[in-house]
Amino acid sequence: MTDKILTQHFGLENLFKIDVYLENKGYEAAKKALTDMKADEILEEVKAANLRGRGGAGFPAGVKWGFVPKDIEKPKYLCVNADEGEPGTFKDRYIMTHNPHLLIEGIIITSFCVGIHTAFIYIRGEYEAVALRLEQAISEAYDKDFLGESILGTGFKLDVYVHRGAGAYICGEETALLESLEGKRGNPRLKPPFPASVGLFGCPTVINNVETVSNIPSIILNGAAWFCQVGLPKDGGTRIFGVSGMVKKPGIYELPVGTNLKEIIIKHAGGMMEGKKLKAVIPGGMSAPILTAEEIDISMDFDSLVEAKSMLGSAAIIVIDEETSMLDVLRRVTKFYSHESCGQCTPCRIGNSWINKIVKRMADGNGKREDLDKIIQLANNMMGKTLCPLGDAAAMPVLSIIQKFRKELESYIPLGN
Amino acid sequence: MAKILIDERECDVAEGTTILKAAESAGLQIPHLCYHKAFMPEGSCRMCLVEIEGLPKLELACSTQVRDGMKVSTKSESVIEARKGVLECLLADHPIDCPICDKAGECKLQDYYEEYGLFESEFNEEKEKRQKKIEIGKNLLHDQERCVLCRRCVRFLDEVTKTRELGVFQRGVHAEVATYDGILVDNNYSGNLAELCPVGAITDKDFRFKTRTWFLQSRESICTLCSRGCNIYVESHQGFSRFSLPKRVYRIQTRENQMINGFWICDKGRYDYSYLDQERLDKIVVNNSEDPQSWQEITSIVAGEIGRLFHMKRSSHIGLILQSWLSNEELFLIDKIFRNDINIGKISFLDPPEESSDDFLLTAERTPNRRGAKEIGFDLQPADWEKFLEDVDLLFVFASPIKGDTDFSPLKAALDKIEKTVLFASHNHEINSLFDMVLPMSLIAEKGGSLTNIVGSVQGFSPALDAPGNCKPAWQFLVDLAKKLMINFDFYNQFSSPESIREVMKKEIPYFREEHE
Amino acid sequence: MSPELTDQTKKKIEEIASRYASKEAALLPVLHLVQHEKGFISQQEEKQVAHLLNIKPIKVKEVVTFYTMFNQKEVGKYHIQVCSNLSCSLLGSESLIDHLKNKLGIEIGETTSDKKFTLMTVECLGACEQAPCMMINFDYFGNLDKEKIDNILDNLE
Repeated sequence: MTDKILTQHFGLENLFKIDVYLENKGYEAAKKALTDMKADEILEEVKAANLRGRGGAGFPAGVKWGFVPKDIEKPKYLCVNADEGEPGTFKDRYIMTHNPHLLIEGIIITSFCVGIHTAFIYIRGEYEAVALRLEQAISEAYDKDFLGESILGTGFKLDVYVHRGAGAYICGEETALLESLEGKRGNPRLKPPFPASVGLFGCPTVINNVETVSNIPSIILNGAAWFCQVGLPKDGGTRIFGVSGMVKKPGIYELPVGTNLKEIIIKHAGGMMEGKKLKAVIPGGMSAPILTAEEIDISMDFDSLVEAKSMLGSAAIIVIDEETSMLDVLRRVTKFYSHESCGQCTPCRIGNSWINKIVKRMADGNGKREDLDKIIQLANNMMGKTLCPLGDAAAMPVLSIIQKFRKELESYIPLGN
Repeated sequence: MAKILIDERECDVAEGTTILKAAESAGLQIPHLCYHKAFMPEGSCRMCLVEIEGLPKLELACSTQVRDGMKVSTKSESVIEARKGVLECLLADHPIDCPICDKAGECKLQDYYEEYGLFESEFNEEKEKRQKKIEIGKNLLHDQERCVLCRRCVRFLDEVTKTRELGVFQRGVHAEVATYDGILVDNNYSGNLAELCPVGAITDKDFRFKTRTWFLQSRESICTLCSRGCNIYVESHQGFSRFSLPKRVYRIQTRENQMINGFWICDKGRYDYSYLDQERLDKIVVNNSEDPQSWQEITSIVAGEIGRLFHMKRSSHIGLILQSWLSNEELFLIDKIFRNDINIGKISFLDPPEESSDDFLLTAERTPNRRGAKEIGFDLQPADWEKFLEDVDLLFVFASPIKGDTDFSPLKAALDKIEKTVLFASHNHEINSLFDMVLPMSLIAEKGGSLTNIVGSVQGFSPALDAPGNCKPAWQFLVDLAKKLMINFDFYNQFSSPESIREVMKKEIPYFREEHE
Repeated sequence: MSPELTDQTKKKIEEIASRYASKEAALLPVLHLVQHEKGFISQQEEKQVAHLLNIKPIKVKEVVTFYTMFNQKEVGKYHIQVCSNLSCSLLGSESLIDHLKNKLGIEIGETTSDKKFTLMTVECLGACEQAPCMMINFDYFGNLDKEKIDNILDNLE
């Protein structure tokens, strides 16, 4: 048994081509699902695997699929979230570039299970090359009868399209993604109704992250029990940890859920760059509350990180060294969210801009003593008080950085101010 | 039904009601900016957040539906903090110059700021610079600095007029409402935008800086400029103790009525209100000069003229020309007096010509009560005027209140030849000089009564303005006249108000029974 | 100023629109296509796209101004977008941006007078393992330093 599910064949030359993929048990799971299994059985298997969403929220995929109404005349849709906008995150790019057929196979099984005949892969606009690769792979899949009017002669029809975003972080939020896919501004929708009942074009819609969907073939081929053995009982399988920042070997590392963060940084990512000392780590993409050097001896799973008042998010690990000023880190964070707020909700639209202006002033050497408390207050005004999670995503890192590095931040405020 | 508790107040509301509506039904207003009854909740301003027992986060009152047993607080500490937070953000970028803002006095943001503490601004950064005083429509100006991005205007143009002249451009803090490619808001409902705007971002050029809202008296009325019967508020200024004003009415606002006009009125109804003040006839005029006689004396003269012909059995030589600006009650009285009692030969309508309707509220008919006239039994076909006027000795005309919208030319030539002509008019008009006697009439906005709109709804109205000068409501004159005629005194003696006329009318004409109200 | 879209592009737009339950949904892909052909999206293109997708031009403008990848004005032949987000800034993107400004003699958001280069900073490009990184048109360049940037730029026609 290998502990790599998604990247085990990454070393193979031309894995992205369907022939190579087929030589390595490719589309076996799809064949099994479509010819040997009923939709209910697939759903039960995925539920039993307790596959939690890899996009950030960690919602169990099987449960999500289960919310889609069964007997309904309207078409149903699958939207694969390949927006990958969370700073620090680049894992989905690897899957789509190196193993696009794995994703397509996951799409086929998901669609078959839920009764979907049209799937869209919403990919961030910057990934043009990746989108082209996906389109090539999709076209190969059509040629080999894995997509189209009657997949493998089973009568099951499925079309898959790649839909490129155009530079908006918010479109990674599932309802903003739907708006964007419908050709609109990426303004998140009010929930309820949830996409499972009213989603794309008003129809029931499943939205899953690339990594989540790419896990489906292994679960179908090897069973839920096998999947649960990798990782943790309540949080099975692997995660593709994307490590960036001040480490020797930045990159992706597919490891079992629950791998120790310190181990990932030191053992897998090669430890700190020469002469650098670890100061802090963002463990799950920019919106995850920061961990100090003392806090990184932690199991990388959803629950452990929640317990540590952070989050696993997209499992993007950003490693910060001692020489980096936390005010600069804070500035990058606030600049980002101020830039990416869609502008709908008052506390997020103006709060983020306000915070960013204060932080910029502090970085310019004009900080005032009351600034940090004001930022905290503004961040608290966003926390849990906006329509979509961007308010929280912006508030959490800001609050944690101030809480954990207040002394340092205060040291940048000129005496007497 | 769901029983819920809002701030310790129990209320029973239908399952599926939102918290905001439930609270309103219990007399509790929950602050909101983006929410408007006309649209689906959008949930973006975040002013209506409330605390629900057992839930970890504050929830939106505008979109959250009640569940039986729900306990809601609209004033807990965390709710107040959240609201202050929203206000603080809005006011960070919004100019704090209420005294020079046209919206002052009816601005939601101003009201909420008063309510939630008048806190000092802690915003010390550079404000976003935006454009002010941009022309966005024939009657509209936009101040982007005052905009709170509630998107009510955009949604109105998207969902109601479907013209979509405004959009939201850019994103985040740079998001702004604007027109596109110089295309201004130019539809017959544009004026609703200024009223919809909860703050001073969209203002109405017609009203802007003409007066302050707190001087205005807002009274219910019905629009009479077409036959839709839209419900309105007539907003008037009483003038100052030392200074009078050249006009009374400063603006017409919509009044919600889901059966008639929903939340909106058209621009014609909103802006064409100058007739309420301009060129008003407010004096009794006999032979082209102001007459010192009282209404009582004049009524006697008119009654005498009618009586004379009636007793000479020459009633058929009395002619009556009507316009459907008259109320149901007035038309009912006219029917009783002139058709039943005196049985005059000739009654006809001379309404202004139809114009184009706009497929929404504005109808082709440009008088408010043609349907009422029809239900009372009048023939609305215009007469062959030459024939009509041929042997008329005494002519009464109840004429249009608006200058120039009726073609009186068919009458002009004949007027000279008729022995006695009496015009009941509300405005000065060149035609007036051709009549022997011109009597000043109150407008719909100045009297009580009811109108029947194009689809047959009967709507009562009360005076929204005082009648100017010597103006009299037609119904009052008609009752006095009928009593003087002494043909059916007891019947007319029971009428002391439009309501009392309506009671009898309901008994006599089945159409006016309750179901049409 | 800019000529009509080519028939080929129009045909492609029809093909894309057929994928969706509403034509409007094709807006983002179509705008990408138009920008690919025209370099940026002017009001004229907004109107053409609106016409082809049967939506109001104002809605196209709303979308164009929401997404940062749509250029509303002409950009240089090489559109350089340097990541200024955290992972890249940790590894020195700030000094690389300064280097580019000096080298090209322009500020962020500007285009060189020969219209060869436009310089922008962007938020995370999703290539943090190669930080600091940048995009030139749609090509990614990672693990940058000043010499590498010089090399890349000097080899562009």
